[in-house]
Amino acid sequence: MSVTENEVLVDVKDLCVDFGSKRAPFHAVRDVSFQIYKGETFGLVGESGSGKTTIGRAIIRINPIASGEVWFQGKKISGRISRELDQEVTRKIQMIFQDPMASLNERAKVDYIVSEGLYAQGMKLSEEERQAKVSRALSAVGLLPEFASRFPHEFSGGQRQRIGIARALILDPAFIIADEPISALDVSIRAQVLNLMSQLQKERGLTYLFIAHDLSVMRFICDRIAVIYKGQLQELAGAEQLFAHPLHPYTQALLSAVPQPDPISERKKKLIVYDPSQHQWSESEPPLWEEVEPGHFVRGSRRELDRYRAQL
Amino acid sequence: MDRETILSVHDLDVKFTLRGQTLHAIRGVSLDLYQGESLAIVGESGSGKSVFTKTFMGLTDANGYVDGGSILYNGMDLAKFTTEKEWRAIRGREIAMVMQDPMTSLNPLKTIGDQIEEAVVLHQGLKGEAAKKAVLETLAQVGIDDPERRYKQYPHEFSGGMRQRVVIAIAVACRPKILICDEPTTALDVTIQAQILELIKDLQKKYDLTTVYITHDLGVVANVADRIAVMYAGDIVEIGSCDEVFYDPRHPYTWALLSSLPQLGVKGQPLYSIAGTPPNLFHEVKGDAFAPRNPKALKIDFVERPPYFDVSPTHKARTWLLDPRAPKVEPPEHIKQLREQGVRLRVRH
Amino acid sequence: MSVSRYKDRKTEELSASLEGHVSRDYQPEEYFQLAEYDPSAAELGSYSNYSYWGSTFRAFLRSPVAVFFLALLVLVLAFTFIEPLLPYAPEANTIYRGDTNLRPCAEYWFGTNSIGQDLWSQIWSGTRTSLLIGFAVACMEAVLGVIMGVLWGYVRKLDFLFTEIYNIFDNVPQTLVVIIISYILRPGVSTMIFAMCLTSWLQTARLVRNQVLIIRDRDYNLASRCLGTPTWRIMVKNLLPYLVSILTLRMALAVPAAIGNEVFITYIGLGVPLETPTLGNLIKAGQVVINEPTLNYQLFLPVLILSIVTVSFYIVGNSFADAADPKNHVK
Repeated sequence: MSVTENEVLVDVKDLCVDFGSKRAPFHAVRDVSFQIYKGETFGLVGESGSGKTTIGRAIIRINPIASGEVWFQGKKISGRISRELDQEVTRKIQMIFQDPMASLNERAKVDYIVSEGLYAQGMKLSEEERQAKVSRALSAVGLLPEFASRFPHEFSGGQRQRIGIARALILDPAFIIADEPISALDVSIRAQVLNLMSQLQKERGLTYLFIAHDLSVMRFICDRIAVIYKGQLQELAGAEQLFAHPLHPYTQALLSAVPQPDPISERKKKLIVYDPSQHQWSESEPPLWEEVEPGHFVRGSRRELDRYRAQL
Repeated sequence: MDRETILSVHDLDVKFTLRGQTLHAIRGVSLDLYQGESLAIVGESGSGKSVFTKTFMGLTDANGYVDGGSILYNGMDLAKFTTEKEWRAIRGREIAMVMQDPMTSLNPLKTIGDQIEEAVVLHQGLKGEAAKKAVLETLAQVGIDDPERRYKQYPHEFSGGMRQRVVIAIAVACRPKILICDEPTTALDVTIQAQILELIKDLQKKYDLTTVYITHDLGVVANVADRIAVMYAGDIVEIGSCDEVFYDPRHPYTWALLSSLPQLGVKGQPLYSIAGTPPNLFHEVKGDAFAPRNPKALKIDFVERPPYFDVSPTHKARTWLLDPRAPKVEPPEHIKQLREQGVRLRVRH
Repeated sequence: MSVSRYKDRKTEELSASLEGHVSRDYQPEEYFQLAEYDPSAAELGSYSNYSYWGSTFRAFLRSPVAVFFLALLVLVLAFTFIEPLLPYAPEANTIYRGDTNLRPCAEYWFGTNSIGQDLWSQIWSGTRTSLLIGFAVACMEAVLGVIMGVLWGYVRKLDFLFTEIYNIFDNVPQTLVVIIISYILRPGVSTMIFAMCLTSWLQTARLVRNQVLIIRDRDYNLASRCLGTPTWRIMVKNLLPYLVSILTLRMALAVPAAIGNEVFITYIGLGVPLETPTLGNLIKAGQVVINEPTLNYQLFLPVLILSIVTVSFYIVGNSFADAADPKNHVK
């Protein structure tokens, strides 16, 4: 895997996001940097409150950032940007939400929901062209074009999530932030949505930022995975690399918690519990963010990093 | 394995009326729950798994009602209960429940200690200092550090996982015989999830509880369940011991549920997926409810509801594929792998 | 793949047409063969033909009291506007000399007042004016309240400003404002409406603001922002439809409140001048004779009409609000 030669699509540099008052801010995201390559699926995994959703929302500019920069296709998109760039970025970056029950406007028909992007971008389309686009978007996510005239409450969770995907696709985005797109779905429906996402990626060359709270699906869908804990990245590696050599204790804890459909080995499994106090970071031994093997970054003190390198 | 039956459900029908239509949520389900076992009921939303267990506690929504069948517990037929007074003798005391969202089961205005103490006073008959001691013990038992300090705190001062521990502490303090856990870990982080399941397992042993897990995720229960019942469209389509269901599943729906687990996915290949959505239970289901979504359905699946076929004394499934007249239908690739793995592992043990 | 315009078909027709894809009439001898698989039929599994407004109206119609008062209200409203067109429609302000203080009789259906005006015409003309005031104020209140409330709730930057304005004006009693305005400007119907509109929208705006705060950060609104939907469109398409039911209630209650206000202000002598009949003027005139059993019909008749109108509005409004709550749609 020669990831280093890939074209960078999204570049997040020293991103910080604060919440709360200016005087006593809560640092939700602290100095997070990573790059997402064109055409890949970049996984971001962490527990609730780790800041993973905040990062996604900072990239799509819903959450204001405290410091740092976000670059997209070689242009800076954070802070003040021109009107044209703003419109372009809105078209190119879209989002898929976690809860399909909350992410669709109950009082609007599917027709409006899916074509909202077309209206919003002020596209001059005839009614015929618009409906054709909606039909195509619905077919692309495996729904019948006839569904356009219905209201969201008539659909099941999986179908609603696909409507949400159709809505994101209508503007032909290049980059999609999928914020826990399957967490709220039944396990039986998750496969449908994941397959659809991979298929669309192949057909349209999409790039994904896939946010999740557990590693169970990551190996299947992601090319590279970043592990985040309390607003800071702890480990970043290729998916296979990470599953083969999880170095950071938090990554190991996450891996050990993935339930396997295999009762006999599951009964013997030892749970790893992550205790942040084991690091013993200090002034003289601050945590560093270093590459321990090509494409594999870990956060740790000098001693820890040496130990990690020895493990490989 | 002849174990004592603690709760016996026979041919239970539950219906709901909604805007003039009738929804047949539970369609003639029978189930024996054995003393001391842990049973997992697995199914997707709308399969009736929660509705089913709520009838054991008289917690069915106002527009729902039991329309036939019996729930025998301790010589009483719970299906015949009508008054709140009758139910109060059962709820908490005999059968307790842990819900998905711990915040909704706790009173935000009362300290954790007071909430557990209520249960201790009511169900263990302790008072004053003795009650407080019991509460502190319970807190320690469910893995809450520094119980003295935690005793005086309010629910909002606890994290999600800690709150769920408190909810479990309250349920256990009632000293119930049966503990129903309705998606106890769905709202929690994965690392916490596994810890909570461990905890329930420990408490089950300690208090000789019978536990019922309700979940949509087969992967979660591999470690905790003795037996697994798979529900689909208001009916148990397959039931067997944990190993039997994981390593030798027979119903096409169980195959589909297992194969579609993303843990089993391989990068670059599509996951096995179940097409479509579950049937609409406002209409009477004809034949096998899963047939329209089953690419390998038999013609009879659309005509006649299959009976249970016994696979082993502890394992049965409702599918025509087990009928001697049925053609041999190969399960999906993952199921074959699981089967081989099961054989391998069992040989080794 | 050919893409055509989709048809607007009812759910039932849709599933019927698709279930027809594969025939499921099997013969017993072929039972144990594999069946044809139709993935599109599987998509149709669950659907609901729930319609919000349909259920709201059904829930409303289930309450006989509400339906009765709605009918009564419609009758009174209709009659108020038909009345001048009827053959028996004397001019309201015409004075019939000599026919003062006549009890209801064949010639004067509701009798006459102390200066010989026909009470029947006076009352209906007064009801018309009062209703005009009520509706005008309610409409203005709704329009202003919604616009201000949505801006207040949705645009974070305006929150501080609006809250301060609200705090200042909310502490001045509405009646006082109305009295002062009536005092400054020339008394009349339009002054009355203006004075009441000036303050009444504040409460509606706050109500709307609180509702908007609740739904503002729901995912579907974030989705709209991600799509670049302009704020005005989010307000119209994403927020307003959720406010319809509370707004209807608010308006239904604003009409009788405004009528009541008019009666009060007129009663204390600052409202509409005597030559314009309103319910307030009539009640004011009627209360003079409250202690004379032969004449107190002059008070009771306008009060009766006032009560019918206000009580009906209250009951119909409240029943509608209940019916519009999706929680009451399960039956």
